[in-house]
Order: sequence, then structure tokens, then C-alpha cells
Amino acid sequence: MSVLDRLPSGHGDRALIAGVVCLLVGALFALTPLRVQLPSAFYVFVEVGILFVIYGILVLGLDLQYGHTGLVNFGHVVFFAVGAYATAMLSAQDTFAGIGLGYPWPLGLAVGVIAAAILGAAVSLTSIRLRGDFLAIVTLATAEIFHSVFVNFEDIFGGNVGILGVPRPIAALVADGDTRLVATLLVLGGITLLTFTVVTRLTHAPYGRVLRAIRADELVTRSVGKSTITYKTQAFVYGAALAGLAGGLFALYNGAVAPGFFTIQVTVTIWIGMLLGGAANHRAVLAGLAIIMGLRLVSRFALDVTPVSSDVFASARLIVVGLILVAVIRYRPAGIWGDAQELGVDQ
Amino acid sequence: MSLLSAEGLVKEFGGLRAIDELSVSIDDGELVGVMGPNGAGKSTFFNCVSGVIPPDDGTVTLKGTDVTGDSPESLAHRGLVRTFQNTRELETMTVRDNVRLAAPDQPGERTLPALLRSGSMTEREAAVRERADELIEMFELDHLADEYSSNLSGGQRKLLELARTLMLDPDVLMLDEPFAGVNPTLTREIADHVRDLNADGMTVVIIEHELETLTELVDRLVVLQQGRLLVEGDPEVVLEDERVIEAYLGGDAE
Repeated sequence: MSVLDRLPSGHGDRALIAGVVCLLVGALFALTPLRVQLPSAFYVFVEVGILFVIYGILVLGLDLQYGHTGLVNFGHVVFFAVGAYATAMLSAQDTFAGIGLGYPWPLGLAVGVIAAAILGAAVSLTSIRLRGDFLAIVTLATAEIFHSVFVNFEDIFGGNVGILGVPRPIAALVADGDTRLVATLLVLGGITLLTFTVVTRLTHAPYGRVLRAIRADELVTRSVGKSTITYKTQAFVYGAALAGLAGGLFALYNGAVAPGFFTIQVTVTIWIGMLLGGAANHRAVLAGLAIIMGLRLVSRFALDVTPVSSDVFASARLIVVGLILVAVIRYRPAGIWGDAQELGVDQ
Repeated sequence: MSLLSAEGLVKEFGGLRAIDELSVSIDDGELVGVMGPNGAGKSTFFNCVSGVIPPDDGTVTLKGTDVTGDSPESLAHRGLVRTFQNTRELETMTVRDNVRLAAPDQPGERTLPALLRSGSMTEREAAVRERADELIEMFELDHLADEYSSNLSGGQRKLLELARTLMLDPDVLMLDEPFAGVNPTLTREIADHVRDLNADGMTVVIIEHELETLTELVDRLVVLQQGRLLVEGDPEVVLEDERVIEAYLGGDAE
């Protein structure tokens, strides 16, 4: 049965409902004296969970670009970083270094999304008409350039220290540490679910059919009357804007941004998550990301009971991740839940 | 008045003139065959007319409008649609989606209606699905409708490509070797479809090597050689023309 035979359907609406419920429950914790207490073993799960839902927005955006449209973006972290820095710099109260303008955080978040989208549009304008591999190189280079800019322009971006004093809206409402973590997870998770709804609606609609057609054969798509440049630009800008949103949320959760949070490691993690789960499938990319991030969690516990040093352990973890990736690409080239025929990787 | 005309088209590839001052005019409702030995410039002519590559010189006019160098998508909107010599299916999509994709005027192909699941999108999609299913049935692909098109045979791909182009309801249909690699039964079937479409008023231009089928089918033959127009006219007359016999049998194969 075709996985593409899906409009008009209720897919994505469950995510919409779940997302709204998450937001409401999160708000309940944040706005009422209601408190939760976490068992101490749970602490780390919630922390990694928060990072997972933020990265979840990143992987959904990347999958819109690569999985659905076939655009190779090796610099996704730059849009995450620009969103985070723009949000931080606009809303930071008294930063130690760099610029902090102290505007209300919703404005900062909005500007973060817009800034990432503008950068996405700029990259599209220069590279999206070219053959696919050029976009890969340009995005990779853009990420490196911005990383150096953030590190070296200390007066503006705070150098290696970054921007401190970014408002933390949920922390401001909830004094209790455990409740604050749970409320943050619920609110950010709710936003990720809403993002899921948005990308699902886009890709299940005839809009997504055009994106998949571009991935399959751009010339054919043009010859049946679709303006493929417009669609490629849109998909790229939407993916960038989502990364900007993730960045803004990260800044407002973390209370600070610094170049160390936005290394190429972020791009690598979400790419591996996407490929592991199966591109062009929203649930699969999130599941793949969960596996990769879950592995990190497991290894944190495992470290306590292994006799090796943490350096050795970290290297060993990378080897495990590498082996898993090799095995998946060898035996399930479309990813664990990916459709080999839809992705054109069978045989 | 001619529906589609090319005036003095020139296209060079690294010093080689693929087409050289080529002028061809096609009337509304005509069924025209384009033939010529390999390298005569048939596909380049198609590519220049359909916007795939811009010509170096000359003009292309469609329904009285200069469309020289227009993009394939804009030409598709103006009613000119083509197929490709090596069938280009959207292999990672199902047969149904291949056909549905080509539907024009689907508001759901824009962001906001797609996000809001607008009524206009759903309504249009219902019509699109009905029309796509009709075409799939007409080309007897219904048992394959949910297959990925990479699973189709060569002949079935030609049928699918035809179904996809018809989704646009074009005024001018340009077919690049629709019978190549297709078995005789299917060839007759495709030819019948083309004849029916033409009888319903669609203008059709066909590049083909399969001369027997082509000459039976078309009203007029245009023969190209080395990027120039060699002969054109009634198929029977053209095939008897000495220059054509020379080009096909006498000269070297290229």
C-alpha cells in the first residue's frame, strides 16, 4: 500500500492534540503552585529529554530539506546557532561579554526565527540553483564561517564566553528545580509536537508531493509546470526557520549561548539520527534521534560501572555509534523505518 | 495560423552546431512527426522549444506569444508539455502520485492552504484524484496504481509518462520517441491513444525512429539532418524523397 496516499487524513492531528495538551499541562505546572518531585535517577532523563525535543525540531526541519526535497544541508547547526544568538542578544539583560539589548524575550525569539530564515534565504539564493553537492559545500562552509565569527568578534558575540544573562521564562515562573525541569520538558515537547503537526500537514498535502517529485527528478517536476526553485527555496527556508526556533528555545531554556553549544557535532548528531531512523518519515527521524541520544544517556550510566577512564569511554561510544551506522547502512540503507523504494536506495 | 513555430533556431555545443537555423511551424490540430538520423538535432530541437535548454539564437512562438528561452514550467502553464526520450519517471513515487503531481491549479501546493487544510485544496484534490484514476485506467495501469514507478517495465513507463502529461490537458504535446523499446502491441496502443488525442483537437509532435508506425500516424513529416531541415511534407512523399533515402541509407550512420 502506498505510503503517499494520505490526503485528506487525520495524520498529524493527534500530534496537534498531544502538543496542545503538553503545553497546557506545562503551563499548569508553571503558573500554579502545583509541584512535582523527581526521583534523582530521573533527573538526567528529563535533561536529555529537553535536549532531545529541541534537537527534534532541528531534525524535523532537516528532514523537510533532505528527506522530502533532497537538499543536502551539512551546516544545519548554523541556523540553530543564529536563532539562538539572535534571541540571546536581543533579550539578554546584563551579559558579561557581547551585546545584550534587554528586549522582551518573545521579541527575541521572533527575531531568532526570522534571522535564521533570512540566512536560509541568503544561502538558497546563492546555491539552490546549482547542483546538489554545491549546496552541501556552501552550507558546511557557512557553518564554519559563523562559528569563527561567533568566537572572534568578542565585542558583539562574546567570544568563547558567549552571551550570558538570557532570560529563562519558565525558570522565572517556577522556583522549584524539579517542577521547572518537568514544565520545561512539557512546554518544549509541546512545541516539538506542534512542529511535527506543521511539517506533517505540509508533506501530506499536495505541497509535499511536489517536494518529493523534486527529490525524484527536478526536470520532470518542472516540465509538469511546477516552479521547483520556489519550492526548494521554501523548503530550505522553512527548515532554517525551524532550526532558528529550536535555537531561540535553547537560548531561553539554557540562559546562555556560547560557540561550544553549536559545533559540527550537532549537525552530525541530527544527520545520524535522521539516517538511522529513515529520512522522509517524520516519526522515524525522531525515533532515530532518540536512539542516538538515548545511547548517550545509556553510556552515561555505563560509565559508572566500567573500569576505563572517561576519555577511553567516550571514544568507545563513538566506535559503537559508528558501528551501528555502518550496520544500518549495510542492511537497512533507508534507515530502520525508512522506505527503501521511496528513498530510491533498494538494490 | 501556426500554433507553435520555431524561427531560425540555433544551438551550439562547444562549437558543434546541434541545430542550425532551423525553422519549423506547426498548425493547430496537426499531428507532426520529426525524424532524422542520429545526431540530426531532433532532441535538441525539442529541448530548445520546450525550455529545457535556451537556444543560442532564433525565436520560439507559442499561440502568437514569443516564448523563447521560457522555463519548462512556464511553458507547461501555457499548454506545451513534453515527454523525454529516456522515460523519466519519478521512480521514488507511486504511479498514482506520478499522475496526480501534474495536476494544475492545486491550491494545496502552496504553504498556507496546505497548513490550514483548506477546503479548496481538499475539493481540488478530490477532482485531481478522479481525473488521475481515469487516466490510469485509460492506459490500463490501474493494477499498478500503488506500485512505485521504478517497478514498471519500459513500455508501462511510456504509458505512465503519457498519462502524466495528459493530466495537464495540454494544447501541444511533444513526444520524444514514445515507441522506443516498446513491444509491438503496446506501440499500437500508444499510437491509438495519440490518434485519439489528436482527433480530440490536441496538437501532437512526435520524434520517432520507428518509421512504419510514425508514417501511418502523422499528417506531416519533418526530416532533419545535421541540424537543418532536410525535407517536410506528406509522409508518403517524404519517404520517397531521394535526399531522405540518402540520409538514412546512403550516408554514414551518424
